[in-house]
Amino acid sequence: MPTYAFNDSDAVVIIGSGAGGGTLANELCQRGLKVVLLEAGPHLTAEDFVNDDWAAYEMLSWLDRRSASGNWRIAKDFPDAPSWHCKVVGGTTTHWSGCTYRFQDHELKARSTYGDIPGASLIDWPISLSELEPYYERAEAKMGVSRTNGLPALPANNNFKVMYWGAKRLGLSKISTGNHAINAVPYDGRPASIQDGFSVSGDKHGARWSTLNVEIPRAEATGKLDLRTGARAIQILHNEAGEANGVVYVDAAGTTHKQTAKIVVLAGNCIESPRLLLNSKTGRYPNGLANGYGHVGRHYLRHIIQTVWSIFDQPVNMHRGELMGGLVADFAEHDPARGFAGGYYIELNAMGLPTTAAFMNPGWWGYDFTNVIEQYAHMAGMFMTGEDMPQPGNRVTLNESELDAFGVPIANLHYDDHPNDLLMRNHGYKTLTGIHQAAGAKRCIEAPAYPASHNLGSNRMSAKPEDGVVDRNGETHEVKNLFIVDGSAFASGGACNPTLTIVALAIRQADFIATRASA
Amino acid sequence: MEIFSIVTRSITKNGVTAHKDPKLPPLPHVSDGPDWTNILNLFNPEQATLLVATVQTLYPHRGVAPTVYRRVVVNFDKLASQTPSAARLSLAFCDKLSAASPVSFTELAETYRISALKTIETTPEFIFVQRMSVRYLYDDLEIWASFGYEGASYHLGGYIKRGFDDLNWLPPLPNDL
Ligand SMILES: Cc1cc2nc3c(=O)[nH]c(=O)nc-3n(C[C@H](O)[C@H](O)[C@H](O)COP(=O)(O)OP(=O)(O)OC[C@H]3O[C@@H](n4cnc5c(N)ncnc54)[C@H](O)[C@@H]3O)c2cc1C
Repeated sequence: MPTYAFNDSDAVVIIGSGAGGGTLANELCQRGLKVVLLEAGPHLTAEDFVNDDWAAYEMLSWLDRRSASGNWRIAKDFPDAPSWHCKVVGGTTTHWSGCTYRFQDHELKARSTYGDIPGASLIDWPISLSELEPYYERAEAKMGVSRTNGLPALPANNNFKVMYWGAKRLGLSKISTGNHAINAVPYDGRPASIQDGFSVSGDKHGARWSTLNVEIPRAEATGKLDLRTGARAIQILHNEAGEANGVVYVDAAGTTHKQTAKIVVLAGNCIESPRLLLNSKTGRYPNGLANGYGHVGRHYLRHIIQTVWSIFDQPVNMHRGELMGGLVADFAEHDPARGFAGGYYIELNAMGLPTTAAFMNPGWWGYDFTNVIEQYAHMAGMFMTGEDMPQPGNRVTLNESELDAFGVPIANLHYDDHPNDLLMRNHGYKTLTGIHQAAGAKRCIEAPAYPASHNLGSNRMSAKPEDGVVDRNGETHEVKNLFIVDGSAFASGGACNPTLTIVALAIRQADFIATRASA
Repeated sequence: MEIFSIVTRSITKNGVTAHKDPKLPPLPHVSDGPDWTNILNLFNPEQATLLVATVQTLYPHRGVAPTVYRRVVVNFDKLASQTPSAARLSLAFCDKLSAASPVSFTELAETYRISALKTIETTPEFIFVQRMSVRYLYDDLEIWASFGYEGASYHLGGYIKRGFDDLNWLPPLPNDL
C-alpha cells in the first residue's frame, strides 16, 4: 500500500469508507487516480466479527455522543444516539442488511409530482432516472444483487412465509423475497448465504456485499490506495481562490496532520459530513463551507421507518436466516387517493431477542411486556420504509454547548414530523398489522422508529445553487473541488432503502472526478 | 476472585439450545447463596438486592431463576464500575426508590413495588435502570433459551440446515416466486 506525502497535491482525499466513500475510492483507483482514504474507525475483518446483537453493535457503531431535539419520538427514546451508523472500515455497509432497490422515476421529480406541500421544502433531483439507470446496472452487478443479472432470489424463510400468506390473503400482488446484495449462490468470489441471521453483525461469512469485503480490497490491489484508519477528519481546508485543497485530521495516536488534496470528497454519512462543513468556517466562508445559501445540514431525512411485531399461535423463529428477505411493493407508488404524498415499501424485518426487546417500545415494562417477549419464538416482523417530507428546520447543527474529544462541537439532530409523515405512518401501521392479522396474528405490536438508519438529504443536490449544497455531480455549488458522495447528497428521499442509489451515484461521480483530475 | 466459568456458552431449556458466540466471554458465575454480592465492586448488599428486586418487578418472568436477575445486577455493577455516570445514576436510583415507600422496597408486595416504581418513572435514574435492565436481561443466554432464541449460528453452519424454512403451519409457497 502506498503512503502519499502530506504535501502531495495530486491525491483525491476521501473522508469515510462506507457505501459512498469506499465505492468511490475503488472506482477512482481503478481509473488510476491516487486516493487517500481517511477512516475514523478501525480496520476489522471477518475474524473479529461476532454473532451477537449487542457485542456487534458496540464493536461497529459510531458511539460518539450527539444530542436530539424536535417532536420525533427518537428525541425521547434515544436522546444521545438519534442516528444509527458505523465507525469502521466499510462504514455502515458492515452493518446493513443488503436490501437494494432503485428509485422510481417520479421520486426523482418529487416537487413536480407531489406539488406544493405546505411546510415541505421539496425539490426535483437534477438527475433523471434514465441518466441513473446505467449506473444502477453497474452497481447491481458489482454488488451481486439478487433477481438482477440472472442471479437467483434469496430463498424464502419462515418469517417470509407469514408475510407472503398475510399479503396474499389481503389481495396484495407485488410480493417477493426482494432484491439483496446478499448471495443466494456463490458470486464474484463470495460464498452463498448460510442463513446465519447475522449479516448485520459484520457478516462473518461474507455472503453480503460491503465496501469492506469488496471495494476496499480491490482498491488496495491497484496499488493506488492509501487507507488511513483511526484517522478523524476535523476540518476541510481551501486555498486563496476558495477551492478545497486539504483536510486536517487527527490520527489514532492523537497527532494532528494536514493532508493536501487535489480534490476533497466527504463521505462521512449524513450527520458527520454537514458537521464537518459547518466546522470548517473561515473568513471567506463564515457560515461554514458550501453554506452560502444556508442549506448545509438542512432538509435532513430519515424515511418513514417503523416495525410491526406480531405473535402467532405457532412458532416462527424469525431469527433464522437472512433478516430482511421479503418485499411487498404494492404501496410503493405515489397515489394521492391515499391522502398523502409518496409511497412506501414493506420489507421483512427480524432481530435477535436482545434488540427486539430493546426496540419494541423503549420504556415499556411490566407483565404486558414480559408476556409479549416470552413469545419471541412465535413472533414475526415486518417493517416499512417510506418517503418523508424534507423540511428546512429538520437539520444537523453544531451543539456549541458540548465539544467532542477532538474539540469539535457535537452534532444536534432536530426533526419534527410533517403531517404527511404522520399520515403515511398511520397508513403503514394499518397495512402491516393487516397483513399479519390475515396470516393469523393474535397480537400485533406497532413499534416506534429505532435510531435513524436511513440518514439522507442534509447536503442536498440541486439544479440551482440557491436550493441546495451540491450540483448534479455531487460537487458543492460554492467550493470547487469539494464533493459529497454519501446519503447527505440526496435531493429527496424516495421510499426505498438508499444504499444502491448511494453506490450508483458514487460510480457516476467517479467518471466526473476522473475527468476533472486529468484536466 | 473467580467470576467467570469457562464452560457456559450454550444452554438448553425446553428443547431449545441457545448459543453464545465462541469469541465472547461466557456467562459470569453467580452464587445461589446470599454471598453472591461478594463479587460486586460498587454496590453494597442492600443496593444489590434492591436492584435485583427492581429488575424482577420491571420484568417479571415466571420460572426464570433468581440467578438470572442477579446476573443483570452483576452487569450493572461492571458498567457502573467503569462509567462514572452509570455509577451516579444507579446509586441515585437506589436512594430514590428507597425513599419512595416507608417500608423497604424488597419487603413490599408486588402491587406496592409497582406503585413505588411508578412514582419515579419519569426520572433519569429510573429511565437508566429500566433501559439497562432490558439491555442485560434479554442478553442473558438462559433467557435466550427460555424464550426460544437460539443465538449465534455461524460456528454451527448457520440455519440453512437447521430450520430457516421449517414453518409448516401455513400452506406451502408457490414455486414461481
Ligand atoms: C442496521 C442497519 C441496517 C441497514 N440496512 C440497509 C439495507 O438493507 N439497505 C440499504 O439500502 N441501507 C441500509 N442501511 C443504511 C445504509 O447502511 C446506509 O445508508 C449507508 O451505509 C450510508 O452510506 P454512507 O456512505 O452515507 O455512510 P456510511 O456507510 O455510514 O460510512 C460513513 C463512514 O465515514 C466515517 N466517518 C465519518 N466521519 C468521519 C470523519 N470525520 N473522519 C473520518 N471518517 C469519518 C465513518 O466512520 C464511516 O465509516 C442500514 C443501516 C443500518 C444502521
